Amino acid sequence: MNTLRANKWLLLASSVGTLVLLGVAAYRENVSREWRRLQRDYAAKLPPAQQAAFTVQLRQVYNPALHASDRCISCHVGMAAGETGIKGDRVFGSHPDVVHDPLQYGCVVCHGGQGRATEQADAHGTAPFWPEPMLTRTASVAGCGACHTHVAVPKLDELRHGQALVERNDCLACHGLDNRGGTLRPGGAPGVQAPDLSRVGAKGYTRDWYAHHMRERAAASGGPWRTSMGEISPQDQRLINVFLDSRVGAPRLVDAKAVFHTLGCRGCHKIGGVGGDDGPDLSREGEKDPARLDYTHVPGDHTLANWLGQHFRAPGAVAPGSLMPVLGLSEEQINALVLYLQSLRRSSYPEAYWPKDRVLAQRFGAREFAADGATLYGTFCAACHGLRGEGMRYPGMAAFPAIGNPDFLAVASDRFISATVQHGRPGRRMPAWGAAEGGLRPAEVEAVVAHVRGFGGVAPPAESEPARWVRGNADDGQRLYAANCASCHGPQGEGKEGPQLHNQVLLTHATDRYLVETVRRGRRGTSMPGFANPGSAHRQLADAEIEAIVTFLRTWEVKG
Amino acid sequence: MTAGSSRSTAPAGGATPAMQRFLHNLRAVPRQFRASLLRSGAPTTDRSRSSFVFGNLFLHLHAVRVHRWTLRWATTWGLGIMALSAFLLTLITGILLMFYYKPYPAVAYDSIKDIHFVVPTGQFMRNIHRWAAQVMVVAVILHMARVFFTAAYRAPREYNWVIGMALLVVTLGLSFTGYLLPWDQLAYWAITIGANIAQSPREVTDALGLTAFFDPGGLQRFILLGSDDIGEEALIRFYLLHVMILPLALAALVGVHFWRIRKDGGMAKPADADERVGAPDVQTYPVFTEAPTRTYHLAAIVRGRTPAVGRGPERTLPAMPHLFYAELGVFMLTVLVCLVLSLVSDAPLKELANPAVPENPAKAPWYFLGLQELVAYSAFMGGMGIPMIVILGLLLIPYLDRETDGTGDWFGGPGGLSLVLRSVVVGLVAVLAIEAFAIRFGWIREWFPHVPQIVITLVNPGTVLTAIYAAYSVWLVRRYDSTRAGALGLFTCFLCGFLVLTIVGTHFRGPNWDFFWSPSQWPVH
Repeated sequence: MNTLRANKWLLLASSVGTLVLLGVAAYRENVSREWRRLQRDYAAKLPPAQQAAFTVQLRQVYNPALHASDRCISCHVGMAAGETGIKGDRVFGSHPDVVHDPLQYGCVVCHGGQGRATEQADAHGTAPFWPEPMLTRTASVAGCGACHTHVAVPKLDELRHGQALVERNDCLACHGLDNRGGTLRPGGAPGVQAPDLSRVGAKGYTRDWYAHHMRERAAASGGPWRTSMGEISPQDQRLINVFLDSRVGAPRLVDAKAVFHTLGCRGCHKIGGVGGDDGPDLSREGEKDPARLDYTHVPGDHTLANWLGQHFRAPGAVAPGSLMPVLGLSEEQINALVLYLQSLRRSSYPEAYWPKDRVLAQRFGAREFAADGATLYGTFCAACHGLRGEGMRYPGMAAFPAIGNPDFLAVASDRFISATVQHGRPGRRMPAWGAAEGGLRPAEVEAVVAHVRGFGGVAPPAESEPARWVRGNADDGQRLYAANCASCHGPQGEGKEGPQLHNQVLLTHATDRYLVETVRRGRRGTSMPGFANPGSAHRQLADAEIEAIVTFLRTWEVKG
Repeated sequence: MTAGSSRSTAPAGGATPAMQRFLHNLRAVPRQFRASLLRSGAPTTDRSRSSFVFGNLFLHLHAVRVHRWTLRWATTWGLGIMALSAFLLTLITGILLMFYYKPYPAVAYDSIKDIHFVVPTGQFMRNIHRWAAQVMVVAVILHMARVFFTAAYRAPREYNWVIGMALLVVTLGLSFTGYLLPWDQLAYWAITIGANIAQSPREVTDALGLTAFFDPGGLQRFILLGSDDIGEEALIRFYLLHVMILPLALAALVGVHFWRIRKDGGMAKPADADERVGAPDVQTYPVFTEAPTRTYHLAAIVRGRTPAVGRGPERTLPAMPHLFYAELGVFMLTVLVCLVLSLVSDAPLKELANPAVPENPAKAPWYFLGLQELVAYSAFMGGMGIPMIVILGLLLIPYLDRETDGTGDWFGGPGGLSLVLRSVVVGLVAVLAIEAFAIRFGWIREWFPHVPQIVITLVNPGTVLTAIYAAYSVWLVRRYDSTRAGALGLFTCFLCGFLVLTIVGTHFRGPNWDFFWSPSQWPVH
């Protein structure tokens, strides 16, 4: 074939091929796109009258202040403006009734995912290279944390007790609450319609509700006012108020956050600038890119939620080199913590969108956790010192002291405990909680101290003597120290099995009486014997000898 | 017609002559339009075919007649036109993308996402743009190889070879500047590497202690980025280079390139091309069937030989239709290939650029990965030194090879195909041996940890390979008593080295530029 004909055939074949491919591309673009197909399916499910009015078109929620160009409603058409949801349909249902209007806020701000995408895998964020996959259905409440970074939560047991009281006192007979309760009786018998309590924590409620209820009960002749209403003690009323104050439309998140603040996590981790420095800052833990996590020792899905859960079960396996101990948490606690961590999403939105809790916390320094000593202790101290001050013993770590030990509390004054909390033990594991920005305020320190005092059930020592009164021989003391104390406390007092004695905060704030009595009586439950009495493993020391040792310890103190 | 006839009164109930003429003219519009478009009429005779070409603004860059040797597929394989076609595709799709792409870091990535997801045909256009750019780079490299192996760079075409080298550089520049625009992790870190290569002269000035006084590296990097780091300044100037400066430069150089083809006497042909192409088909009429009245509008006295002097047109064919069907065929084939690739494979887009999270490994675009492999040993040598040597060598080839034996023939010249095949072996063995050594045993710093960097700058796999290839080439010159033989060997070795280094850099280098047999073995973060 001569070249001209060959070229003509080449041109023909290429051109025909190009036209075919352009046809394929046009078909893909205008007919077979996933969202077009879905919208046609939706239209088929509509009643005929609405079908005619429905047009297949790209839809989005556009809110530049929230960086939202969310095209989720191109597939989830039932949620689009002006469209009706199809009841019970997984894709085309209408959006559940939530606090914020999805058509104003967009979808991604709460649910995560890739709003600009129009294909399912890309939009749900499960395609490669999208760092923020959508939250699963059960975890979608974690999305609240993107803006509501400082939701106030009460003490966990008060929260749970309040919830139990609400249920036990039959409030749900008339009030709807968190998708339960309300007035519909079986058989359609009418009842009393009472306000839904799911969001009264945000919207507010009448504080004298009890008096109002009692008045109504007195005035009623029959019906639920008579049968469902009864007397409630003032203490129970307070707990019910605590519970109601926490109702903001996210019950599982509030509960999870309350659980978090009983486990002492902030003792090592900072969130929102409050907490310790031993562990990583968790303020944006919920935004971690699952593709960048190490799943070598993580069985199960390659998702952030699964990684976090496995991390709680075995931190050292999942994150090699981690200092975090195995906490021995129950599955329920792990699920709560994972939900809470997923809510740590600190996104940056204009201040016009800042919710009240964030403004109160970031502008006015309000705490997001309850201010009582038990909650503060549970928030900062419990992981190391135990929920009841019993101390903790983690494998591979030196034991943490039992500060609820009655022998300790009998000799330690509140002032001493307060100073320890504020200044810590420099060079050792106890941080200084009063000094740093992420720590405790003076009133909070006092609340914690009072709570710790309550562990032992013993009165504080009467401090009638001067702080420094021993007059022993320091050289004798040195000799006695080396013979009796150095084996546990270290030859220079640097601490081995026993605490560090050569520690300026300890020496500055401990009275001589504290030191003498500790040596005399020992501390039951620890290795410290009482040297005033004879024993099989230690020599009995006379009071003069003990005072000499304390005098020697005082030589380590740097005055001024 | 008299002056009065046009004003004669219409007979009652009938059209006036003016009305009839009007209607007649209206019906004749399509035919008249076509006639006005083709001033010399339809290209059905050789004379009208000639006029069709030289009377057209766009087409008169072509010669009116082309030698049948040039039209053979095996002569050029259409690579030059393929490169141009790919460029036209990138131009058209690029202009369409410009309607939606926003060149500021805060919005660039999102605008690409919008192009992909919601702009009608956006995904398709972006894919075509990306694939046509890849096809263009490949075609340009293959075209250079074709011109070299057919010795078409020889006098009088040396300058066109130089223009071609400039076109290669501009093409790579276009691809490189476009790489940054999506502002994703791939883009950001690839350009980080490129910018640091621009800074690599510091390796030399540091070794000489001059950097404080004389810092061309730092200056180059700053000019490239417009700032100390990669941000909105870099994006804006890369965008400007990519959509305006480099395309205009390319278009100007392409114009000169084609113009020189005309002035240099068309494509290079063997001296005996006439005999080898044989007698024309009986259907073609190679001679003018009418006495030519004017075949060229311009006549000038020129020195040297023009293509038409001393020979008849028997071995030539009119450009219209023979050359134009060839060009159109190649163009549509390129379009078809790009469309297939675009429908099958999406242009990549990774996460949004994050200066806090480096890609590991951070890889330059594939055509630079061979260099990046060398850069791993010495930034200056791999990034600037060797490329300069290579480009200089390539530029010098037509000026050093003044022989005439074998022009226009594939692997023409002393040695021929067998020499090329042996050079392939030499080239592959050398580069594989050096790479295997460096990967298995390491390089100088393994045994002399404190050796100054300047030693490694001078003695590294890249320089050693270059030296081996150069030595081989010199040996060939002597053995065959021909510069062309040496050039054949050197160019072949260069192609093999480039290919192997690019493959190693693409597939076998993982995090920290460590060697892995497969990406599945890369360690997790």
